[in-house]
Amino acid sequence: MESQQGEGGTELDSQSSIWVNTGGNKMAALTTGFGRARQGGAGDPREYKAETAAGGDKLGGGGGGGDRGCSFLRKVSVPGSGGGGGGGGGARLRSIAGTRPSVQNGQLLVSAGLPALDQLLGGGLAVGTLLLIEEDKYNIYSSLIFKYFLAEGIVCGHTLLVASAKEDPGDILQELPEPLHDDNYKKVLDEGRSHKSQEEPEISMKIAWRYQNLPQMEAGPGTSSRFGHYYDVSKRMSQEVIQSAKWHKFFLPEEITSYANVESCALNHGYTKLLHFIQRVISEQGFDGSNPQKKQKNILRIGIQSLGSPLWGDDICCADTPEHMHSLTRFLYVLRGLLRMSLSACIITVPSHLIQNKAVTSRIRNLSDTVVGLESFIGSEKEANSLYKDYHGLIHIHQIPRLNSLICDVSDTKDLAFKLQRKVFTIERLHLPPDLSDTVSRSSKRDLVESAKQLSPGCGMMAGGKEHLDF
Amino acid sequence: MLQILASRGDLVLLRDSVEWEGRSLLKALIREVALKGEQVQVLGCEVSEEVFREGLDSDTNSRLVYHDIFRDPQGWTGNWGPLGILRACLRGAEPGPCTLAVDSLSWLLLHAPCSALCQTLRALGHDNSHPGRVRVLGLLHEDVHGPGPLGALRSLAQIEVTVGGNLGFTTAQVFHPKPRHRSIEQTYWFSILPNFSLEFHKEPLLEPRPHRGPQSPTVDAMADLTFNVHLSKKEREARDTLALPFHFSSEKQQSLLHPALASSTSQIFYEPDADDYLDQEDPDDDLDI
Repeated sequence: MESQQGEGGTELDSQSSIWVNTGGNKMAALTTGFGRARQGGAGDPREYKAETAAGGDKLGGGGGGGDRGCSFLRKVSVPGSGGGGGGGGGARLRSIAGTRPSVQNGQLLVSAGLPALDQLLGGGLAVGTLLLIEEDKYNIYSSLIFKYFLAEGIVCGHTLLVASAKEDPGDILQELPEPLHDDNYKKVLDEGRSHKSQEEPEISMKIAWRYQNLPQMEAGPGTSSRFGHYYDVSKRMSQEVIQSAKWHKFFLPEEITSYANVESCALNHGYTKLLHFIQRVISEQGFDGSNPQKKQKNILRIGIQSLGSPLWGDDICCADTPEHMHSLTRFLYVLRGLLRMSLSACIITVPSHLIQNKAVTSRIRNLSDTVVGLESFIGSEKEANSLYKDYHGLIHIHQIPRLNSLICDVSDTKDLAFKLQRKVFTIERLHLPPDLSDTVSRSSKRDLVESAKQLSPGCGMMAGGKEHLDF
Repeated sequence: MLQILASRGDLVLLRDSVEWEGRSLLKALIREVALKGEQVQVLGCEVSEEVFREGLDSDTNSRLVYHDIFRDPQGWTGNWGPLGILRACLRGAEPGPCTLAVDSLSWLLLHAPCSALCQTLRALGHDNSHPGRVRVLGLLHEDVHGPGPLGALRSLAQIEVTVGGNLGFTTAQVFHPKPRHRSIEQTYWFSILPNFSLEFHKEPLLEPRPHRGPQSPTVDAMADLTFNVHLSKKEREARDTLALPFHFSSEKQQSLLHPALASSTSQIFYEPDADDYLDQEDPDDDLDI
């Protein structure tokens, strides 16, 4: 009988509620591992269709649930089925702050803090997965992305776990960027754009006019309402917000205080302690559903800085043939198991430019779900290259996970560059600038051609050949 | 150069090589620091204490606190290894800004695991008794090590100074990476006097390098054209106002919706030729359709 009372009773409404329910159950099954998908959900559309075919239309009649309510039973399942999961859990999962289901495969996603990066990763970071950032040479921009991730966690109200061997996690939290409100972001972005347009006035395209309507890389606020937030890098997050956040810290020098056996570097020591710490937090705070709570479920955001660097006691970055080559890979394997069993998302930065053994790098990449590499131009010869003069570095998306599907949503451009403006970190497609002038001398044209060879073929073969033909 | 001494970054790496040694620069920097009245802790591993102190004036020498590993490199007399001694350097120091000079980090890298050394250096920089005021000057011989340990120490260092030499002068390339194209990279030319004071010079003028070869004269393709390639201003304006054929403007829409009446402007004028055979009959009449 029944439960049509509350919902207005139109057919469309109940149909949409079927869709949403099965979606919710899919999410419950994938991300948490507990709570099976309700079998009843699949049955409902068929029952519903049979009814309309047979019985004609049954429009309206909201209050009269009795007439049409019989064959279509909206099954409000008892939350007691399946250990806290099921329909009740599904409804609650949908409403965790700061998450949303993916449009591709229904995964529960959290934002990585940068909406541009979310777009490149296929909507966001899936809950239960690991994001690996391969650091740039001086760890300037990768620590910025790390801080964006943590700041997003604070703004959404998630619990944080910050682990580091270099800086005290309390100091890291003091340096988080300040969140911007929607109207402020428009001003900041316009400021950035007007600054750029003072240098080169934007020419509306006359011949290639079809390309003018292509969508821009970044989505501004308002497209995805409460999912990604924008931050002002030049300001710090206020103390009240930071103190209102719930966070756990793991600082290696405090955890390992004895240096008795320092000469024989016990490598797994730091990693083992960190894993125990993470597991304790997950089980005590109930992120894996072990002590079922009636209160709102939340996401745990784990951030580990500079994993694999010598400060963690690991020598894969120092030695050509490291003694304990497998400690980091074992750590990642166990960590990913912990992540899959809980409602958490993890970001790790690894200084892979220091790792000499390429096999180790590819193993680390295989053991992570999403891999993003940063390459900054500081101190390298690329800084002087005219192709890169507007940008501060390149960003490479090495890997995107295929979760419960056969394909993943890889973006079509492989050449992406980032720049850190005064307030905003932007990621853009790298465009080869058109070579318009006729009186450019030959040597600089050759430089441009050489540098264009480093771009992948997706960027257009404009300057492909070495000889420049003059007609 | 003195700005290095002014900054309180944790680790300043002095990289030298076989071509140009860096110990004299290290001693010169120690002298600068000692002249300001600070105490300098020195960990000497490669040369003996007498050799290190030689050349420095008595004022500087009185402010140097020397911890000697050279005398006993294997640690037979004490219980600590070299890293233990490194950590113990700061223990007896007076509170306040403190400088620790390590001569050299290469020796420590060869006698202790790299990760342990990095952890110790980091712990020194963040020593609790001297919060934020410890500066470590480390000498590193870069051709002794592979890219692994070198990269690890470089990533730990805030400022890198590469010592070289050219044309009789010593050069120091100082690199301090910072975000947003603001990294400081500067080369100093100086000479170190016998009493280890620094005398800075301006960058000497380099001799003009010989030409790489006669460059082929670039041909100006626009030179002797028989037609006009350039546009005058009026012509440019006219071109800008021209509507492109595939732009669907409102005029085009009007012309399509209301087709113009057949204007009398287009007519065909035909003048029959002598050879033309004008037959009024329609050849298709024979067809039997």
